[in-house]
Amino acid sequence: MGSARADGGASDTFAKLLRGHAAARGDRPAFRHKDFGLWQTWTWAQVYQETRAIAAGLVALGLGRGETMAIVGGNRPKLYWSITAAQMIGAVPAPFYADAVADELANLLEHSEATVIVAQDQEQVDKILSVRDRLPRVRAILYDEPRGLADYDDPGLVALEAVMSKGRAALAEGAAAADLDRRIDEGKGSDASVMLYTSGTTGRSKGVVLSAERSIAAATDTVAFDRLTDRDEVLAYLPLAWVGDHYLNYAQGYVAGFCMACPESADTAANDLREIGPTYHFAPPRVFEALLTRVQIRMEDASAVKKWLYRHFMDVAKRWGEKIANGEAVPLSARIAYGLGELVIYAPLKNALGFSRIRVAYTAGEAIGAELFAFYRSIGLNLKQLYGQTEAFLFVTAQADRAVRSDAVGPPAPHVDLRIAPDGEVQFKSPGQFVGYFREPEKTAEALTPDGYVKTGDAGYFEPDGQLKIVDRAADVGRLVDGQLFAPKYIENKLKFFPNIREAVALGDGRDFVTAMINIELASVGNWAERNNVSYASYQELAGHPRVYDMIETHVDAVNRALAAEPMMAGAQIRRFLILPKELDADDGELTRTQKVRRRFIAERYAPLIDGLYGGAAEASISAEITYEDGRKGKLAGTSRIVDAKPHPRAQGARAA
Amino acid sequence: MTGASDEILLDVENVSLSFGGVRAITDVSFDIRRGEIRAIIGPNGAGKTSMLNVINGFYHPQEGRITYRGRTRARMKPHEAARQGVARTFQNVALFKGMTTLDNIMTGRSLRMKRGLFWQALRHGPALAEEIEHRRVCEEIIDFLEIEHIRRTPVGALPYGLQKRVELGRALAMEPELLLLDEPMAGMNLEEKEDMSRFIVEAKLQRGMTVALIEHDIGVVMDLSDRVLVLEYGRRIADDVPDVVKADPKVIDAYLGVGH
Repeated sequence: MGSARADGGASDTFAKLLRGHAAARGDRPAFRHKDFGLWQTWTWAQVYQETRAIAAGLVALGLGRGETMAIVGGNRPKLYWSITAAQMIGAVPAPFYADAVADELANLLEHSEATVIVAQDQEQVDKILSVRDRLPRVRAILYDEPRGLADYDDPGLVALEAVMSKGRAALAEGAAAADLDRRIDEGKGSDASVMLYTSGTTGRSKGVVLSAERSIAAATDTVAFDRLTDRDEVLAYLPLAWVGDHYLNYAQGYVAGFCMACPESADTAANDLREIGPTYHFAPPRVFEALLTRVQIRMEDASAVKKWLYRHFMDVAKRWGEKIANGEAVPLSARIAYGLGELVIYAPLKNALGFSRIRVAYTAGEAIGAELFAFYRSIGLNLKQLYGQTEAFLFVTAQADRAVRSDAVGPPAPHVDLRIAPDGEVQFKSPGQFVGYFREPEKTAEALTPDGYVKTGDAGYFEPDGQLKIVDRAADVGRLVDGQLFAPKYIENKLKFFPNIREAVALGDGRDFVTAMINIELASVGNWAERNNVSYASYQELAGHPRVYDMIETHVDAVNRALAAEPMMAGAQIRRFLILPKELDADDGELTRTQKVRRRFIAERYAPLIDGLYGGAAEASISAEITYEDGRKGKLAGTSRIVDAKPHPRAQGARAA
Repeated sequence: MTGASDEILLDVENVSLSFGGVRAITDVSFDIRRGEIRAIIGPNGAGKTSMLNVINGFYHPQEGRITYRGRTRARMKPHEAARQGVARTFQNVALFKGMTTLDNIMTGRSLRMKRGLFWQALRHGPALAEEIEHRRVCEEIIDFLEIEHIRRTPVGALPYGLQKRVELGRALAMEPELLLLDEPMAGMNLEEKEDMSRFIVEAKLQRGMTVALIEHDIGVVMDLSDRVLVLEYGRRIADDVPDVVKADPKVIDAYLGVGH
């Protein structure tokens, strides 16, 4: 296998890892990017040269050790190389979410004290220029894609390509090359390697500073854990600013020396996935769910023969697939039936999804539905769960091959020290553990226990087999008036496992009973409407349709039945629910950028609906002016019918799946 | 707006057009300068589309002269206009619905293909090299119009706003000197209009194209255009920069009715 660390020479920084790969596997592909309809490939040797050119250009711009360099944009090779280039010269790269609105971005850029910004394109440049008066430290703004920027003459705005040619010219003279070599050698493992801003689910985003040696140590452990090599390939489509992208693609890629393929655009990622056929893959449960929904919708439209084949072999997969994947003993006839299914259904299906070559796939971020998880496992996708945090540099727990289940997230990852505090909070020490929050020592202290464990803020417990089970955010777990435990996310996740439900918000802390506000999934409910001759003109109209309410009511009832079967949760059944007249949206501040529900915010905005839920009304209306994050104002208006749900009697003993 | 030169690309002098007894255009004169965005506006039936059809040779005016690139022409057919660097899009999208986005845009290159059908069918040697070059041009346009995700999608399956974009792509593939756009933003939502405006301005600034467009959204026209020609009942009632046209009482009358 041979990672760069084995090739002699120090490899305690990413710049040194890159130099090692250029020497050890210079001809192997390192990056791909689809541009003008063609996949362009760069080898490790080329990437090293390109990165040096950026680094030398940044030196010429006066970017010094310890300064912050911001990166704003999507998955573009040059943006990744800019990260390494900054690391080469001891500056601290800080990637930011490309879809952040100007004001949000300005706050974070200001906090990061960035002096140089690398932006992807005109869209990002426009955003930055619109708030430039709030960013006095910014000396230079570099851009990767020049389109539309020809007429801009703002001071300090320069094409990344121009910076690179300046860098190349300087490197050609020798002195600059020697200087850059010296800078790479001077890099220490204890240097701050990257700063990743948290998504801000619970309050303001914080800049998590990670050191080079810890990042590399964590990535090395997991590269060995999943036996990743330089023959592996990933599609780098996750947000650059997210710890998952920086870990799974960048850090593991630079440790193992595998190839990162960047999609043509965010819209083409699904197609690019098929073309690249990655061997190592990550996607949040939401993405797997959307894919499955698409498969199911397509199968509804398929011919009778195909439908029969699909149903028949999916039954075979359901019965035997996971057992075969987990290496259990199964009868020969089952193996033959499964083998036939592989030929007829599973392999073509995986191919259509772009999953044909995947050896290891992870999902995390949210709980994943048992059926959804089983579907992918049963068709032979090695899908596993991990539990991670930015502060850990991702991995806290991870499931090993062949020890996989849907309702837990695995035992501690290699070299991670994990414990459950007396109040139920999960706490850890990990190899990749963060150095601190940038400019916020008091917050850093708050996040750590006196003996140096990181507090995750999640409540959970260990299952008998040693796998960790996460119930909810520790802060969100509440109690009903009668003392019944109320874990909103636990209930919401059960609701969201139904393809017709996109989002749900459960309420109940300090109340007499539990209620829920539900968002329908337009794709699947819309498809259902089409099939059943239900006409609708808008999301709001569909959401309020009596037959849609009936459908959701059966889902709520199923959730209640499942809750009734769990001794801890039986008292937290949903008594009343409504369907929200509007889709919850990150642009409106209702979800975080990582699509997590912002509970308190929603409780405030939808207060009239919540009053209706607890006031016994048959319907409730909302009419409010909302201010979008970019300052524009919009109007939110709608009426929701409120439905009473029937509680199920508390089950004795029996546990539902 | 900047970018326009003083060179007159197209000069229309005293053009009149009638169908039987119906006068569509009466004695209209105006010019289009190289590198400008020229809007033609007016109420329904004012003769805007007729004027575009006169420019690209689809209609032949009974009176008047049209001088394009310094040459006064008598009669010209649309395909001759195309050969001379005039491309257009239509009020109602006119694409090959069963073909993909890429193939539709490729059709815009057909006039520039030098090899005969025989060699193209063989897809060998010079014909292949030529096809690769045309494909490169089309891919640049796909990149420019941000339609990578629908490259392989049959255009019949696309929403209307995207079809309009593909149609613009096909016109751009001709690498025209003069681009005629017939209501490029009809039926679009605000975001689609903003995108389309951006593409039109970029086509002018980066690709050095001269654009003449008909549009109903007056706000868009005034933002986008260098000069605006206003027609009413086939006659010219105003012709100036947007700010002047906006304030012209005759224009206000035409749009709001006399006695507003």
